[in-house]
Order: sequence, then structure tokens, then C-alpha cells
Amino acid sequence: MAAFDLEEQEQISELKAWWQQYGKLVVTVAVAAVVTVVGFNFWQSYQRRQAGEASAVFAALQKAAAERDAKKAREAAGELLGKYGDTAYAAMGALVSARIQYESGDLQTAKAQLQWVVNEAKDAEMRDMARLRLAGVLLDEKAYDDVLKLLGEEPMAAFAPRYAELKGDVLMAQGKPTEARKAYQDALAKLDAAERETGRGQSSSALREVLQTKLDAAGGQ
Amino acid sequence: MFDAVRNRKFIVQAVLVVIVLSFALWGVGDYLRNMGTPGDIAKVGGSRVTQQDMQKALREQQERLRGMFGAGFDPAMLDSPEARQALLDTLIRQRLVQLQAQKSHLTVGDEQLREVIASIPALQEEGQFSRERYEAALRSQGLTQAGFEAQLRQDLAVQQLLAAVAESAFVSRSSAERWMNVLLQEREVSEALIKPEQYLAQVKVTTESVKDYYEKNRKQFELPEQVRAEYLVLSQDKLAEQVSVSDQEVKEWYEKNAERYKQAEERRASHILIQVPKDAKEADVKAARDKAEEILKQVRKKPGDFARLAKEHSRDPGSAANGGDLGFFGRGAMVKPFEDAVFSLKEGEISDVVRSDFGFHIIKLTGVRGEKSPKLEEIKPRIVAELKAEAAAKKFLENAEAFSNLVYEQPDSLKPAAEKFKLDVQQTGFFSRTDRAAAGPLGNDRVVAALFSDDAIKNKRNTEAIEIGPNMLVAARVLEHKPATLRPLEAVAAEIEAKLKAEEAAKLAQNEGEAKLAQLQKGEQAGLAWSKPRTIRRGGGPQGLPADALRIIFRAPADKLPSYAGLALPGEGYAIYKITRVDQPKVAENDPRVRSQQGQLAQLAGAEDFDAYLAALKKRYGVEIDKDALAAAK
Repeated sequence: MAAFDLEEQEQISELKAWWQQYGKLVVTVAVAAVVTVVGFNFWQSYQRRQAGEASAVFAALQKAAAERDAKKAREAAGELLGKYGDTAYAAMGALVSARIQYESGDLQTAKAQLQWVVNEAKDAEMRDMARLRLAGVLLDEKAYDDVLKLLGEEPMAAFAPRYAELKGDVLMAQGKPTEARKAYQDALAKLDAAERETGRGQSSSALREVLQTKLDAAGGQ
Repeated sequence: MFDAVRNRKFIVQAVLVVIVLSFALWGVGDYLRNMGTPGDIAKVGGSRVTQQDMQKALREQQERLRGMFGAGFDPAMLDSPEARQALLDTLIRQRLVQLQAQKSHLTVGDEQLREVIASIPALQEEGQFSRERYEAALRSQGLTQAGFEAQLRQDLAVQQLLAAVAESAFVSRSSAERWMNVLLQEREVSEALIKPEQYLAQVKVTTESVKDYYEKNRKQFELPEQVRAEYLVLSQDKLAEQVSVSDQEVKEWYEKNAERYKQAEERRASHILIQVPKDAKEADVKAARDKAEEILKQVRKKPGDFARLAKEHSRDPGSAANGGDLGFFGRGAMVKPFEDAVFSLKEGEISDVVRSDFGFHIIKLTGVRGEKSPKLEEIKPRIVAELKAEAAAKKFLENAEAFSNLVYEQPDSLKPAAEKFKLDVQQTGFFSRTDRAAAGPLGNDRVVAALFSDDAIKNKRNTEAIEIGPNMLVAARVLEHKPATLRPLEAVAAEIEAKLKAEEAAKLAQNEGEAKLAQLQKGEQAGLAWSKPRTIRRGGGPQGLPADALRIIFRAPADKLPSYAGLALPGEGYAIYKITRVDQPKVAENDPRVRSQQGQLAQLAGAEDFDAYLAALKKRYGVEIDKDALAAAK
């Protein structure tokens, strides 16, 4: 390799100078790229592994729910919230368990699980759904002001009719039919709006029927 | 060495560009793929709903409906823009939850997947999962195991999401109680009807207004376009009349297929069963065997007493009362040890004690019907029919194409085809697109569309040969055509006048009714004849009242009684309701009905939550529908 000609030697020294100037940058960029790719892959596979484990716990929870076994359901939900709080299964499990707890009369646990979804769930849909159900439990406890406060924050448009409906139920329970009427009217208007926006399934005509009847019963037009 | 590089600079640059691009476009491949090729029906998030997806869904839907309605199912039912839109909506909803399940990393483990597959009844043999059946089922569906399992995994993940959203819904006790109170409310109501008939006399309808109505509603008085047509039917049944089958052919067929017509040997037996379960304790088995041996001794002593002993001792509920007689049966009808015993006995002989899963049997063979081959004469009609059908089907296949070509190549007449295929040219009466009563076999959507085309009406051309049933082709030709016509005013004037009069009278009745209602609400008398009061309940169904009437009765204010409400009932008049009492039954603290009401409402809430959830996903991911591509979808 001793015999480089002049031109080649010149090129080699140019190359060396270039490397002197940019070498560090090149190495840094390359390392950063490798770290990012490896990190991203690792993160993905970690998430998948977590989800796989959480899925098994969720399956056990579903089984407990089908058997109406409140204790087992609570334990499974606890495991999901504690160990797999970052997965989507946590919110799903809390919702499934909350119904079983509520139906078995354990309102405290139901509330705690729903509250967890309201505070922690990543998907806004899940948060809004949990908030509505939590408000229902509070209504049973006659904590009217808490319910109205909970329902006060506007949900996504798709859930808005149900929020307004429950507001109406609360106001009726408080003996305020005039305000309840407004809430039911609001619910109907929001159902119309939601339908216009996205088109809804068959359930919306059933909901309309219920809302109209509740409005009638509250003495409204 | 660098010369090479320098001299081919552009190559190096090109290579560099490729490398750089491949990084820069990392993930862009997906994006490009999802840009949508023309013809895609919709885009849901980044994922495409292609024409193929739609076709597959349509096929599945057709199969499902065919399974439900059998032969009565008409695929044309699904061929409307509304049906297509509904199907697309379903596809979009599926796609949305799939996307969401994927994004949330929902999945099911191998163990759960195995459990689900093993629990599919169609894949089981005697209650156990069967690997062979599984593989056979995959083959018959044209699926690979990996593909099927991936699909199933995805479906199960979607189900998890569904369960979490819809099945987790509940409705608070307070809401359910309120709803029950609403449904249980009762009102006592009497009714007065102001009928339009009493105003008919004072209604005047001018010829002007009749004419005016006629002009404005011409469409109503149109008679639709009609045609009368002639046609040919080429069918397998018709061809079967033309083919003949020689005795020689029948005989050859009989000899070749004698096996098929053979009746297997059948035997008749009586038995006495001493029952003992398969897994009984040894002592019980021994006791049963001893008893059986004892009875066998008696039977052997007096074979004539078999029937009496069977009645007395046999524990076979089906046969004991008949003296143990089981009638004639062939091989394969009874459990193996029993069958073996029966088919090794001679007529009249009695077996030793035989053990089967049911217990111990003593068997007497009472009859034998040997293997029988029916004589040619007995089954000749069957063979002839079979051979004819076979020949006709073959002939149909051979002729169908020639028939189609001939009616197309000689479009001005059906005669050549009729002569060539020995068919009768038949004629229909006049029929329209919608009223096809006189169309006979031409009342098929495709035939009707072809007959009402310009080619058939203006050019008097034959329609193409159209398949209207299995192995049945029809070709038709318009004989006469009546364009759409307007019925003249004189013909319909009376009809219009009656209609206008009725409308006017109904209006008068309504005016009168509304005036009276206003009087009543002011507390004045209105001189109406009220029906006897009766009590109705809000949640009690129709109770002999139209839904709108129920609604206004329960919507009427109840703070001051009597309260009044009224509405026009189409065709009947104006109804006024007087509410004289309102009862609100109280729901007790622990009324079990609340609980069941809560359950029903929870189901409704689940459906609503899921709908709302889908609507939210739709907004989040974005859905674009290509209306033209949807209309083009087949």
C-alpha cells in the first residue's frame, strides 16, 4: 500500500481533514439513529408483552364477571390497575369490574374503579363513559351536587345526549321539573346534533323515545 | 481506486439518493399504500375499504340470508343503494373497532386462542377437539392455519373491546326507579270525536279546484308504460321430454348399478334387558348377570313364554310392553355386541346372555328378510327418470350456448330458435315494470329490464338469453308497447272531488275541534258527548289508542283537573281527550321490578354507549366515502 500516487495522497489527506471536522457529528448521528431504532423496537415489544399478560388477566376478569363473582373481579381489576396501568386493558377491566361491584352493592369499589378511569385512562371515550357511570352511582347516594359537578364538564359530542339525560334525572330527583325539562330538551337537541354529525345506529331511536317520554312526564312539550 | 468513484460520480450519487430516501421515507411505504387507488370505496383512518372487501362482505351476507330464507331468498333484495350503504356502514364499524383494538395493542394469548378453537362444536368429535376435523375445515374454507388463527385473534381482540364498552354498562337504581314511576303513571280519560262526515254536506268543491288538483298531481294519474311479449323457454325439464331412453340403455344401467338398488339384509328380534350401567360396581354386575342367567334358563325351558318374561323382566322401556319386540332393523342400527349376536342367530333361536353398554340381553331372533335386489321392472320408471334427467342436463349444456347465439344473431324473430330447439313460442299479456302479474316467467328483474330497454321496444329486437332459474334460459321479444299515458280528467274527476271533499271536511272538523278544545281549556262548556271514562297507563302499550294520542294524553299538564288535549287523527276526525284523574303508584324500596327494569335499561345503555363509542372513533380516525365507487360496487 506504500505506492499511492500524488493525486491519491492528496485525496487521502482531504478525506482526513473532512473526517477531522465532521467525524464526531457523523458518529453521534449514527449512534443516535441506532439508539432510537433499538429503543423504539424495544418499547414496542415491551408494550406488546405487557398487553399479552394483561390480556390474560382481563380474560380472567371477564370470566369472573360472567359468573357474577365480585371478589374475583375486584382482584383481577386490581391487578390490571396495579401492574398493567399503562395498557388499554386497565381502563377496560375497571369498567367491566365496576358494573359487577355496583350490582353486588359495593358502591365504594365501583366508584374507585370508575374514578381511576376518569383520571387515568388514555382514551377520552373511556374517560367520558366512566364519568357518566360514576355520576349514576353518585346519584344513588343522593350526592346531587357532586353529580351535577361531574356532569358539568362537557363530554365528547357523542356522549353529550346521555349526560344531559342524567342531568335531567338528577334535577327531577331534586324536585326541579322546570330545569329537568330543559335538560331533557337539551338531550334531544344534542342527540339530533350527534346524529347529524356521524349518523348513529338503531339505539338512538330507542334513546329518543325514552328522552321524549321523560320530557313528557316532566310536563314538557 | 478513487478514480472509479470520481468517474462514476452519478452512480454514487444515485446510490446515495436511494439510501437516503429509504430512510427518509421510513414508514412512507404504508402511507403510499394507503393513499388509496381509484375504486376504493372508503378510507377509514389510514385503512382502505376496497371493492374486494365489499364483494366479500356482500357474498357473506348473501350466504347468511340464503341460509335463513332458503330458496325464497332473492339476491336482488341486496341490490339497492340503501342496502349497499348499510353494508358499507357495517364494514366501516368493523374497521373502526379493529383499528382501535390494534392501536390499543389488544390481543389474546395462545392458550385462550386454543381454548376458543377447541370449543367450536363443528371441530369436535364426541365432545373432544379433533385435529383432523380442524384441518379438514380449514381446507374446505381455503384457509391456512396461520391465516385463520390470526383472523380469529383479531376477532377476539375486537370482542374484548366490545365487552368492555357495551357489557360493562349499568344504569343507576335511581334512574331505573324514576323510569318505572314514569311508566306506571295512570290517567283516567274520556274521549270525544268530532267526525268530518257531518261537515261533508256543507263542503263545496268547484270544478276549478278539481282541475287544479289534476294539473298539479299528474303523476298520480299516469298509467305506466306496458308491453306484451312473446318468449321461448329453454329448460332442462323441457328437453327431458324430447330425449328418449331405450330399454337397452335401461338394462345396461340396471346391470351396472345393481348395487345401488340393493336392499340390505334385515332381521327382527325380541330381547329382555337386565339393566346395569357400563361402569357399575362388580357386585352389581354379578347380580345382574345371575338374574339374566336365571331368566335365560326359564326361557330355554319354555321358549313360548319369551314375550311374557320380557314384559315382566325387561327394563327396555321401548320394547318391554311389546314382549321385547324390536321390529326389523339392518346392520348399524344397534350396538355392536347386540348386532353381532342377532346376525349370528338362526330364526327362532335364543342367544346366550349378551353384555352391552346397557346391560345384559337375552335375544330371540324372530324374523329374517334376506338381502334383496329389486327386479328391473319394479324400478324401471325410476331408472328412466334418472337417465332422462341426466341426458337432458347434458343436452341443456350443449344447447344453451347455441340458443344464446341464435337469438342474438337473428334478433328480429324467435322463430329460428323455436324451430331449431323444438320449442313453443308463448305470449304474455300486458304488464308494466312494477305490475308483473301478466308477465308469466318474464317477471324476472333482468328480463323486465331488458324488455323495457330501447333496443327491445324501439328496434323490436330479441332480448339476450337470460337465466331465470337453474338450467332455465329465456329469450323474449316485445310484441306490442303502450307508452305511459295520462288518464283523462273526466275519468278521474269524481275520484278527485271525493278526495278534496274529504280533505276539506277533515279541515272543518279540525277547526271545530280546536275551537272546542280552547273553550274547554278556558273552563267553558263545549257541549260534547264524552265516552265512558277509562284508565290507561303510560307504559301499558297501545291500549286501543294511537301512539300520538297516548303521548298527548300523558303530556297534558296534570296540575289542574280536568285537563284537556286534542289532536287530528287522519281518516277519523279530531279527537279531544278529557283527563279526570292522575294516579302515581309508588314503587316500594325493594320492588323486584326495579331490578329487572335496571337490567333492561342497562342493555339499552350498553347499545347506546357502543354507538356513541363508534361515533367518537369515527370522528377520531376520520372516514371518507367515495360515493361513485360505492355506486359502482357489485
